[in-house]
Amino acid sequence: MGLFDRTLEYIDQLQHAGTAAAVCERLLGITSSFGLTALMAGTVPQPGTPRGRQKQHVMLCDWPGEWLERYVARNYVDHDPVVSHMKQLQAPFQWRDASKNALIDKNSDEVMGDAREFKLRDGLAFPLVTLDGQIVMVSLGGESVELSDAEFGMVSLASTYAIGRAMQLHTKADSVIDHIELTARERECLQWAAVGKSEWEISQILGISEHTSEKHLLNAKSKLGAANRVQAVAEAIRRGYIS
Amino acid sequence: MLFALTTQELMERPDLWEAVHRLRYKIFVEEMGWTDLDRPDQLEIDQFDHDEAEHHLVIRNGELAGYQRMLPTTRPHLLTDVLSDLCEGPSPSGPNVWELTRYAVAPGFRDGKRGVSTVGTELIAGFVEWGLKRNVNQVIIEFEPMWVLRALQLHFLATPLGYQRTYGNQQVVATLLTFTEHTLDVVRARRNHHLPVLNRGYPGLLGLKQAS
Repeated sequence: MGLFDRTLEYIDQLQHAGTAAAVCERLLGITSSFGLTALMAGTVPQPGTPRGRQKQHVMLCDWPGEWLERYVARNYVDHDPVVSHMKQLQAPFQWRDASKNALIDKNSDEVMGDAREFKLRDGLAFPLVTLDGQIVMVSLGGESVELSDAEFGMVSLASTYAIGRAMQLHTKADSVIDHIELTARERECLQWAAVGKSEWEISQILGISEHTSEKHLLNAKSKLGAANRVQAVAEAIRRGYIS
Repeated sequence: MLFALTTQELMERPDLWEAVHRLRYKIFVEEMGWTDLDRPDQLEIDQFDHDEAEHHLVIRNGELAGYQRMLPTTRPHLLTDVLSDLCEGPSPSGPNVWELTRYAVAPGFRDGKRGVSTVGTELIAGFVEWGLKRNVNQVIIEFEPMWVLRALQLHFLATPLGYQRTYGNQQVVATLLTFTEHTLDVVRARRNHHLPVLNRGYPGLLGLKQAS
């Protein structure tokens, strides 16, 4: 079988993967013979994203676990030469080319030096841009990377389809979480809050205690993932729970 | 508002015809630097603007905001005649397969920095609607690899036709996109716009802003 037919077969397998873990496994199955044994893919956090939120950007991960912990703990994403190279370049590249350009930054040196401890000496990175303009990167690493131009072509295609599949699975998972159950009382309270009623006024209208109306609004706020009442009302309107 | 016109129909409206070829020049020659398409009259026209080509025009506020050209694969097209090194195997062809070329959004209509503008997604909704109406369910596109990801986000079934290659400073990969009614639903849901975008007939004269 020719290399391209094999590529098509791999892509077909990737498109039928049912979980992110299966996508990871199949992609690494393709790339490990070229020395690419670790994988990380996801959207790229804005500089300064709090550490607690950085992991939410990860969609595919078969990276040494300790390395991921350290990467997040030390906020390496803001100093990783691979990440900054990718933001400028918008085309696939090899890690070693990224570190060449970034020798001036001491912190970048630290990132790459640390990566080597985890047997991540070199790798390939594929930046892409989603429909909404978010940068997505697939990064594959290992001890030494050895591949021909055609094999590089195969790995880029496989990486693109892998992250595409991961995003499809991600949105599916999101839409499950996305389904929010608001109780009738919570909806009522929100509806009155939307027309500017205070908690006390709401309690009078609905014939409940002020404390209870406050509790309903707090519950609704947290279910809607809102930071405050105004945002909760806006979100409830957007989702069509209240009008 | 998207209008699908044959080359003949386009030529019957000199204002539209000129706007189309001028926009293509601006984007493909000036922005993308495809210098083999350069012409002194600053209109971009090639051998595929034949009488079986179909032109999709998005009109916003009396201006040409977006454009794409559909070519039948039952006669020579870009993948067979110009970009054949993008295709590894036999290139797909048949009455249900068309090639989408010259996808363009005019500079004033690119909202957002990197994402796809509403004119951009209207073009996508437009070719899917147009295809489903005439039993076309597959489209060949030569585009940047990030569009593969975007196509998958919109629930197209995507199949590569070859490896990606570098042209100038651009990466290009030929891809076959297959779509169904479900794809159209996803595209519409993404756009938050569920009404058909494809219009009958001709748009009004360019430059005349319509009261909305």
